[in-house]
Amino acid sequence: MAAAPRKVPVEERLFSLVLALLATEQGLTKAEILSTVTGYAHRYASQADRANLERQFERDKEELRDLGVPLETLDAPGAEGDTKLQRYRIPPDRYQLPDDITFTPEEYALLRLAGQVWREGSLSADTRRALTKLQGLGVRIDDTVIGVAPRIRTRDDAHEPLQAAIDRGLQVTFPYLKPGVTVTEERLVSPLALVFHEGRWHLHGHDDGVDAPRTFLLRRIVGPVTTLKNPATRRTDPEVAARVLDELARLWQATTACVRPRPGSEADVVLRNRAGTEEAAGEPGGEAALVVRTTDLDILADELTAFGADVVVLKPPALRDAVLARWQRVVAAHG
Amino acid sequence: MAERAAALGAPDKLAFLLSLVPYLIDQVRVTVAEAAEHFGTTPEQMRKAVTLIAMSGTPGADGTYTHETLFDIDWDDFEERDIIRFRAAPMEERPRFSAREAAALLAGLQRVAALPSFAARVDILELMAKLARGASDAPVALAVRPGEQAGIHGMLVDAVAAGRRVRIDYVTTRGERQVRDVDPIRVEGIDDAWYLRGWCLTREAERTFLLDRVASVEVLGEAEAHTSEAADDALFQGDADDELVELALPVTALPLLADYRGADDTVRIDGDRAIVSLRIAHPGILGRVAARVAGAVEVLGPPSARSAVLDWARAAIAAQGTDPA
Repeated sequence: MAAAPRKVPVEERLFSLVLALLATEQGLTKAEILSTVTGYAHRYASQADRANLERQFERDKEELRDLGVPLETLDAPGAEGDTKLQRYRIPPDRYQLPDDITFTPEEYALLRLAGQVWREGSLSADTRRALTKLQGLGVRIDDTVIGVAPRIRTRDDAHEPLQAAIDRGLQVTFPYLKPGVTVTEERLVSPLALVFHEGRWHLHGHDDGVDAPRTFLLRRIVGPVTTLKNPATRRTDPEVAARVLDELARLWQATTACVRPRPGSEADVVLRNRAGTEEAAGEPGGEAALVVRTTDLDILADELTAFGADVVVLKPPALRDAVLARWQRVVAAHG
Repeated sequence: MAERAAALGAPDKLAFLLSLVPYLIDQVRVTVAEAAEHFGTTPEQMRKAVTLIAMSGTPGADGTYTHETLFDIDWDDFEERDIIRFRAAPMEERPRFSAREAAALLAGLQRVAALPSFAARVDILELMAKLARGASDAPVALAVRPGEQAGIHGMLVDAVAAGRRVRIDYVTTRGERQVRDVDPIRVEGIDDAWYLRGWCLTREAERTFLLDRVASVEVLGEAEAHTSEAADDALFQGDADDELVELALPVTALPLLADYRGADDTVRIDGDRAIVSLRIAHPGILGRVAARVAGAVEVLGPPSARSAVLDWARAAIAAQGTDPA
């Protein structure tokens, strides 16, 4: 026997695993992998280590999948599902970036800016790895494309678990505080897409409790997201996020309210700067009224309530009532 | 940058190794310093990575490693001249993006593409299609649609670029209208909000202005150059003059207060109620806090704050009265 084996770093074991699986055409069985690949092989001789090694291999497979390395499992003929005889390989054509995909220095600079949008959480980590892969293409950056990208925060606690659940196609439950109500409800949802609209993160999914599609505000998921073992009842698809954004945009265009801010007040300045605001035509009384847009009148009610006496809510009546009710609750709590 | 400071885990290191191999093969011959600079890493890290790769290989048919299945580099060049040159490589593929990696970049692009200054130079749709095609699976459902920017945004961006002093008509969080002369330092976007960071000549201090609160902008003469002293995240400094107010609200509603919480706040949990101490600038903000939670917030004290909130809500109700329901 040689001297005590050196400790092999994780990345070296994973790198060796990718090399081995990429090089094999007919695939390698688990036993072949564990007995020959650097990082496993020196522990394979010991029977006691064998079970640990197998668990290690299962985790490593997940790591590779997370990195976008396609793993193929081939059943031995006549022994379908027998994991001992299964062979593993990485098909080079699915691993390799197609040859015709190249990026110009300008495109690369723009992608680097796109990466700056995320500064935290798994989106930032995903971006960092994507940019490393782009660096591997050897493109030089066009440094005449300069600037600082605006950033989007992903600080809602629900963000990471929901993204992971969408990724893995699993159902989730979470406590939700619907806009306009004070009591939370536990929701059972098959999550399909995360979209950022009007400065807020939304989850779109199939609400399995009421068996209908629903869109939730992440900010109003007020407790932990629990990921279940059940597969989601609906599959996500690459178009769903764009479709939800289009629906939100249509809703936003169609849902209007008419309000009269006190001229020169904070409400006046902020509401006029708000995207989509227009002067209301021909209001009686001559004072300027504004048409403002929203995707949800209850969310708008929260925003308008904040302006207090600086805003008069003209219509729709439901919004007027919702805002009055909020102020009355404040009075009731402090009177 | 913050991302550089974060400790890189095994997935990052593996992505680096897998990306480094095709790069080094493409370059044919490259110095350690140049390769390190290209990947934004240190020469020591680069030497370590190259050594790791050079010692790796694939097991041959009989499970042993032979010279045909191993990476091989010119060790003399590497050790004596700090030059990387491969003599043999069992792998040269450029890795695809994972579905999540592609999704993160695509969503970031949707944000950046809305900025006219960046978008004009590249065919964004073509770039997005390329990214999606370069992913090993369909990108995960994630999308971003930024809001429109008000005209003052463009004026201020131009003022920063041209080094112009601006006079802004601004409404403070206390609801006061003020005219401020500002030498702009930068315009920053966070979520869908935009901020002007600048040297305020009126206050003789660096200040941040929320663009939503700017009623109008007038471009004055040339600005003096100032470098920002504040960190990215320190957009607003807490004001020690603000009153410390105690609030009660349901524990479940606590996350909705995130925007108003500061470093020196305290939270006490009492059953299903949370008691929070916050620094609050004026009763309007308290009203805003109460509105966030649809009236489930109660101001416990001091008594002056309690009665101010009551008056604030009563005045709001009264203001609605004269109009038709």
